[in-house]
Amino acid sequence: MAEKTLTKQDVTRAFWRWTFFSHANYNYERLEATGLVHSYKHVIKKLYGDDPEEYKACILRHMQFFNTEPHIGGVIPGIVLAMEEQRANGAPITDEAINGVKTGLMGPFAGIGDTLWQGTLTPILLAFGISLGAQGNLLGPIAYTALMFGIMFPVAYICWMQGYKLGAEGVQQVLAGNMLQKIITGASAMGAMVLGALSAQFITTTCPVVITIGEMQLSIQDTVLDALFKGLLPLIITLATLWMLKDRKMKSTTVMAILIIIGIIGGGLGILGA
Amino acid sequence: MSISLFQAFLIGVVYYLGNIGTPWLSLLGSISVVYKPLVAGTLVGCILGDPIQGCIYGAAINLPYVAFISAGGTAPADPGLAGTVGTAWAMASGVDTTAAMTIALPLGLLGTMIWVTHMTLDVTFVHMADKAAEEADLDRICFLHVVPPQILMFCLCVIPACAATYFGATAVQGLIGTLTGVPLRILQVIGSLLPALGIAMNLRSISRPGTLLFFVAGLIMVKYLGLPVIAIAALGGIVAYFYTTLLYNNAPAAAEGAAAAYDDDEEDF
Repeated sequence: MAEKTLTKQDVTRAFWRWTFFSHANYNYERLEATGLVHSYKHVIKKLYGDDPEEYKACILRHMQFFNTEPHIGGVIPGIVLAMEEQRANGAPITDEAINGVKTGLMGPFAGIGDTLWQGTLTPILLAFGISLGAQGNLLGPIAYTALMFGIMFPVAYICWMQGYKLGAEGVQQVLAGNMLQKIITGASAMGAMVLGALSAQFITTTCPVVITIGEMQLSIQDTVLDALFKGLLPLIITLATLWMLKDRKMKSTTVMAILIIIGIIGGGLGILGA
Repeated sequence: MSISLFQAFLIGVVYYLGNIGTPWLSLLGSISVVYKPLVAGTLVGCILGDPIQGCIYGAAINLPYVAFISAGGTAPADPGLAGTVGTAWAMASGVDTTAAMTIALPLGLLGTMIWVTHMTLDVTFVHMADKAAEEADLDRICFLHVVPPQILMFCLCVIPACAATYFGATAVQGLIGTLTGVPLRILQVIGSLLPALGIAMNLRSISRPGTLLFFVAGLIMVKYLGLPVIAIAALGGIVAYFYTTLLYNNAPAAAEGAAAAYDDDEEDF
């Protein structure tokens, strides 16, 4: 039997099919499952085209539930490509081994990927883009778009290719070391600092109450709140919102309703302003 | 400003292109680019003939969604609908940016219904793909993965967004004209509170021991030092480098303890 090898072009092609189509049929039951099959189409044909039984088994194998963060988590389909290639060449890789890698890694990589991409990079780039865009500078949306593609496409490509190159064991070795922990902790610290800056800039709630004592006019915002700690209101509002979400485990829509009610009462009575 | 039916249709198409998962601009180009009101608003501005005004409204409408995260098949709000139809409404009625943020808000909530509908109906195509898989028909699975769900998605996105833009703009114009005094102030206060929701959701998702201390540091840098966000991001990167180096290189045991405490730690301060 001739050796069936995937060329770099095969692996890259699967990457681009994944990059564009991973979520084309995103749904509550199987999420990215058909996205994975779609991305592997040419690979399945090449590896198992001469063996109808294995061909069908491979399709059924990847029709199973799969969901991860698609860029950094692209390392998983990369690994699985390498495993399928070895299996097609007779290596004793079972269905369980392949499913184990997919289901075992998809959760951790979703956590890592979403923290870095949606949790850290996106708010930083948006803060930058919005501050320009709010002044009517079109560079805001344009630079935002260019940076987002310019950073995430190479990251996704490298993750996919490294997954294919390192295979399951190599990736698990990287996971076992503390490099990933380090990256996530660092990103979380950096992200939190940017979020602090955003709350100071964008939560513009003030307390316009002015108390008149005799001839002295006492503005609560200027002489009390700002004197205590500038940014006290945004800090309290964010911490209270976080407390409702994290400690009270409220749904985000409930929290939004509470904020709206606070706005109606505070704005109506003139206690809060913007 | 009045909006023609054709312009409303194009705005619906922008909403479709930005919706999570549409393949035309890649997944990243949908959720991370056109889905963001900053970009969507600018595109709507181009359609309505004033990209700069669209960009200004889009930037404002984006604020509550700066820290938007969609994970595990959930979408807590729909910045896409708020950014497209919201910008169109704001441009048609000429409101100020804080009020624009608030009138876009119900759209962000209504949009999640479109998300739930598509996530539910798309299950049908998976079941059809299951049958094709039993026959080992790979081409049919790939067809079912792309064509029918995207036709469905196009209808689910373009029809409501186009209708809301075309019919809603006039209604909103009338409504905004009557908004002055206390109701307007309430809208503005709500608009000033809402960014807290996205920021807190984001904080929750990146939460680790000490996260809130970094948060307070960022707040102080703006309020007391007046630094721009990009400078704070760079400083944050530098601080994060030293922090993680100290945490992981000198005390591996402590670092493991910190990592273990990640999930159940409630007391971040």
